[in-house]
Amino acid sequence: MSTQANAAADRAVMSRLWNAIPWSDVRVKLIAGLIILVAWQVGVAAFAPRFVAKPLGIAAAFPAVITDADFLAAVVSTLGAVLKGLLIAVVGGVIVGISMGRVKFFDRMLNFYVNGLYAMPMVAVLPLLAIWFGYESDARLATIVFAAFFSIAMNARDGARSVPPEYLEVCKAYRAKRRYIWFDITLYSSLPYLVAGLRLASGRALVGAVIAEFFVSLEGVGMYILAHARSFQHNEAVIGVLALAAFGLFVEGAMNWVMRRFLPWARRG
Amino acid sequence: MNNATVNGQPRIVVSGAGKRYGALQVFQGVDFEVGERDVLTIIGPSGCGKTTLLRCIDGLIPLTEGGITMDGEPITAPREGVAMVFQHFGLFPWKTVFQNVAYGLKLAGASRAEIDEKVPGFINLVGLSGFEDYYPYQISGGMQQRCGVARALAVEPRVLLMDEPFGAVDAQTREILQFEMLRIWEARPTTMVFVTHAIDEAVLMGDRVMVLKGRPSSVHEVIEVDLPRPRDRSTLLHPRFAELREHVWSTLMKEAKEAEFKV
Repeated sequence: MSTQANAAADRAVMSRLWNAIPWSDVRVKLIAGLIILVAWQVGVAAFAPRFVAKPLGIAAAFPAVITDADFLAAVVSTLGAVLKGLLIAVVGGVIVGISMGRVKFFDRMLNFYVNGLYAMPMVAVLPLLAIWFGYESDARLATIVFAAFFSIAMNARDGARSVPPEYLEVCKAYRAKRRYIWFDITLYSSLPYLVAGLRLASGRALVGAVIAEFFVSLEGVGMYILAHARSFQHNEAVIGVLALAAFGLFVEGAMNWVMRRFLPWARRG
Repeated sequence: MNNATVNGQPRIVVSGAGKRYGALQVFQGVDFEVGERDVLTIIGPSGCGKTTLLRCIDGLIPLTEGGITMDGEPITAPREGVAMVFQHFGLFPWKTVFQNVAYGLKLAGASRAEIDEKVPGFINLVGLSGFEDYYPYQISGGMQQRCGVARALAVEPRVLLMDEPFGAVDAQTREILQFEMLRIWEARPTTMVFVTHAIDEAVLMGDRVMVLKGRPSSVHEVIEVDLPRPRDRSTLLHPRFAELREHVWSTLMKEAKEAEFKV
């Protein structure tokens, strides 16, 4: 077979692939991404110093970085801490939030403080957390929990408060036990709120983790970015940033999947 | 005939019942009895407290005066053997049709096997076979209320309380559901108290129609519905149906007109 025929076949495969991508969504995204990358490459090459990261440089550094044991250890360390912290925040936040939503007394006690602590930037407490928990990974975990807890608690509270009274009436008419109302009605009815809270919390948790690593000099993606930025290996540093962005997108996608798969009813109000 | 009794006493006895919210006396001095296979429909203008009265019979809210007994026992809280169908359907959106119908049984402590055995029959009875795994948002309002009726029937209640059950569905569906309900009642007759604001529905469903009115409202008249059972669409063409309908209408409307022009 001639090389010309091969090339034609390749083109046919490529065009079929391209046509298989739905127009409205992915193709537009790809084109926009390409424009951004070209503008970045050209702009930086023309106007910026040599050490500023460029798409081609990042692409060249990519294989080495993602097979680098230190980088992978950093990713595992940071994301592990974020997931662990989120888990703690979810369990604690759901218990506190739903209690506040369903028991007036708890709400009166805690609502002011939960709102106040939510509004407070956790960066401000970090120096204290670092000393209280030591310059080690505990301080990072504490920061993550602190960052995530309040948005989950607040959303859980709102969810528990917004259980439609009709549901509670049905429970009462069918003589549901209190425990049953909590687990089968309040928790389920609050789930869409909890997912919204978790979405908010995971963003805050990621920020908390990275800042804690900067401040405490802890192994992790934040530290990886800091170290490579300071040693002018900016392509590598950007890959660290991209890893964090990928995690954020992953969480977003996971939440959407959970909503579609397990809470299809929630979209209909 | 329809006032058959249990152990010589009517199933539900309401005596001197009154309900007040603060300064607002909703109803007072309400007395009536409902027998074992008796269907009592309660009709009255909006805000007359008919739904409140039904909630008191269910034990969801307490009376402020008088008392209600069921099989001779005073009602203080919702009881076993009493099921309510709500105007708002009250289905749980995160449960499928099957799970919603099974809800009452599950709370009553039925085993998994028992639920699997009983629920399909009730789903079939209300004509929802094939929709077991649908969520409420995926089915029409009429089907949602069929599901609500099946949930109430599934606990095999001795008393069925219907709170404007077809008030939130469109006119055609409402008619279909009325005849379905008559058919279901014939298949499993129970004591039924049926609150409605539709005159046709009150006459069609009831053995007696109780008219509540006034402020505070009280029993204005109880009209015996001497239409033969089983009833179906042909009942609507019965000359007696038209007479009774007219009777209830004039009883209700006299008051409604006065109220409208009083302001």
